Amino acid sequence: MRYVKLPKEKVYEFLEQLKSMGTLYGPKKISEKFYDFREIGDVKEVEFEYNRTITPPRKFFFPERETVFTFDTVNVEIHETLPTGDPIIIFGVHACDIVGLRIMDSRFIDDQPDPYYQTRRENGIIIGLSCLPDEYCFCSVRRTDFVDAGFDLFLHLLPDGYLVRVGTVTGHKLIENSPEYFEEISSEDKDNFAKFEAKRRSMFTVQGNWDDMRYRLELHLDHPMYMRESDKCLGCGNCTLTCPTCRCYEVKDLPTLDGAGGERVRFWDSCQFRSHGLVAGGHNFRPTKKDRFLNRYQCKNAYCETTTTAYCVGCGRCTYFCPADIQFKENLLEVYGFGGGA
Amino acid sequence: MSKPDPMKTYATHKCRLLRVYGLTEHEKLFLFRFDDSEIAQSWRFMPGQFVELSLLGHGEVPISICSSARRMGFFELCIRKAGRVTSEIHKLKPGDLVRIRGPYGNGFPMDRFYDRDLLLVAAGLGMAPLRSVFLYALDNRWLFGNITIINSSKLGKELLFAKELKAMRDIATAENIEIIQTATRDPDWGGLTGRAPMHLDKVNVDPTKCTAALCGPPRMYKSMFEQMIALGYDPRYIFVNLERRMKCGVGKCGHCNIGTATSWKYVCKDGPVFDYYDIISIPGLI
Repeated sequence: MRYVKLPKEKVYEFLEQLKSMGTLYGPKKISEKFYDFREIGDVKEVEFEYNRTITPPRKFFFPERETVFTFDTVNVEIHETLPTGDPIIIFGVHACDIVGLRIMDSRFIDDQPDPYYQTRRENGIIIGLSCLPDEYCFCSVRRTDFVDAGFDLFLHLLPDGYLVRVGTVTGHKLIENSPEYFEEISSEDKDNFAKFEAKRRSMFTVQGNWDDMRYRLELHLDHPMYMRESDKCLGCGNCTLTCPTCRCYEVKDLPTLDGAGGERVRFWDSCQFRSHGLVAGGHNFRPTKKDRFLNRYQCKNAYCETTTTAYCVGCGRCTYFCPADIQFKENLLEVYGFGGGA
Repeated sequence: MSKPDPMKTYATHKCRLLRVYGLTEHEKLFLFRFDDSEIAQSWRFMPGQFVELSLLGHGEVPISICSSARRMGFFELCIRKAGRVTSEIHKLKPGDLVRIRGPYGNGFPMDRFYDRDLLLVAAGLGMAPLRSVFLYALDNRWLFGNITIINSSKLGKELLFAKELKAMRDIATAENIEIIQTATRDPDWGGLTGRAPMHLDKVNVDPTKCTAALCGPPRMYKSMFEQMIALGYDPRYIFVNLERRMKCGVGKCGHCNIGTATSWKYVCKDGPVFDYYDIISIPGLI
């Protein structure tokens, strides 16, 4: 891997350079408490030390809602509406979210690739950014706190700039095309990188490895935690909406008033909604809130072969944004530790 | 290996409805053919696979193919009027156009069926996908040993393809095929009564060299498995065809997700055909 240094005084110039290449998105402070990925107008608005964004980066490749085709019911013809393929650059993506994107890739770019997702993804540039965990983060036990793939460049904070890891040919080109912003790393930079990593690792409130979590969960499907916690759940779907790896979608036909045409749209769905498991005739595969709650805990702890991790990357969003204060990490630990519940 | 073409994933094909045949009060059989001659000649499927049928403006539904894989360019779907979209489909008339994508799903692993006896056990709408296996076996008769098909439903008048199976009596005798049709709860039914497992003593197959395909409600599987294993059927050769809400058909939309943390499955892509060992390893599958 190639390593270079981006000195502090060159950061904004580099962001300007990125902005000139396409639409630049990055973390912005959008309210007193929250951050989100937004289009960057003024590069000075980019927030470098943010805890987590509300919406995950998958929204750039798998939007909340999109038209998949328009149709003509008279001739029974369809006209596919594929994305344009304009370049988008996402700056400041944390390690957990990068693994999240790779998990999305594993389902959307498989042997039956999704053309809408794939087109956008192939035209996306990902610039990673190091971070320090807060009490909601548990990426460490998910093995997603440090990534070796899925980024074009990854910026690690140094006292006077960033140590940059170059992940792809696109990343190499970014460096080659703007050599004036970069310099070689020094032995001091290497030491500072190691110090930052040591500090980062020491800050997690949960240590160890959760690779066997899925077996523990499966052995205790009847654990009282599920009933107790799902009773608090409002069924709002915030946990799935903000999750970097949730990818369920619903499809609907929206005919025009005269019925001669219309569009087929797809939009994010949530397994926490009652309608998710509902089928024709009124049968529901997940009729109770507890069924839906358990479903999410199983799905998020399932194994993704591509990343060799769980589908949950430990970003903490589902807990941070839960209006009922349901503690995902704590609940998992309770089952893992064979706690008897309340 | 060349990269898969993303434009093929959701590609739909225009199909013309040729014939509608009322099977029961709630189910009709629809015969379609592809409008495009190239698609008509190249489109193939395996028994147990399904298509997504679009009625533009109304929506899309997953339906098992129930015809013979041997007849190219044409296919049949047995559709129960169960909801909004299927009610609209039931209003279609010959000559009407729909759009089809697929086939999707793994289908039955037919190579595990060859040179063995064949047992098909259907309950209710389960007869639809199994008819595709049955017709496949008839069209490739020399690849199979003895064949038994058990078709069951609650009432006699609800037995799917009952007339068709009855009309096959002569061919069945000539071809070593045992056809068993039973109504489980019908006082007015003159034929066999009782659930499918009760008729395992009437089959013409040898359990030790038989492959079985089952399709019906979950409670049928449990009792069938118990009895079949007790009778000496090899669990490696017992397959079931499951139905979930297969919205996208390609393992993306998540509506057919099933299982637990160690066995997270997409019924549309990992299935809809599963074997006995899948069933006992994946909680919630049946």
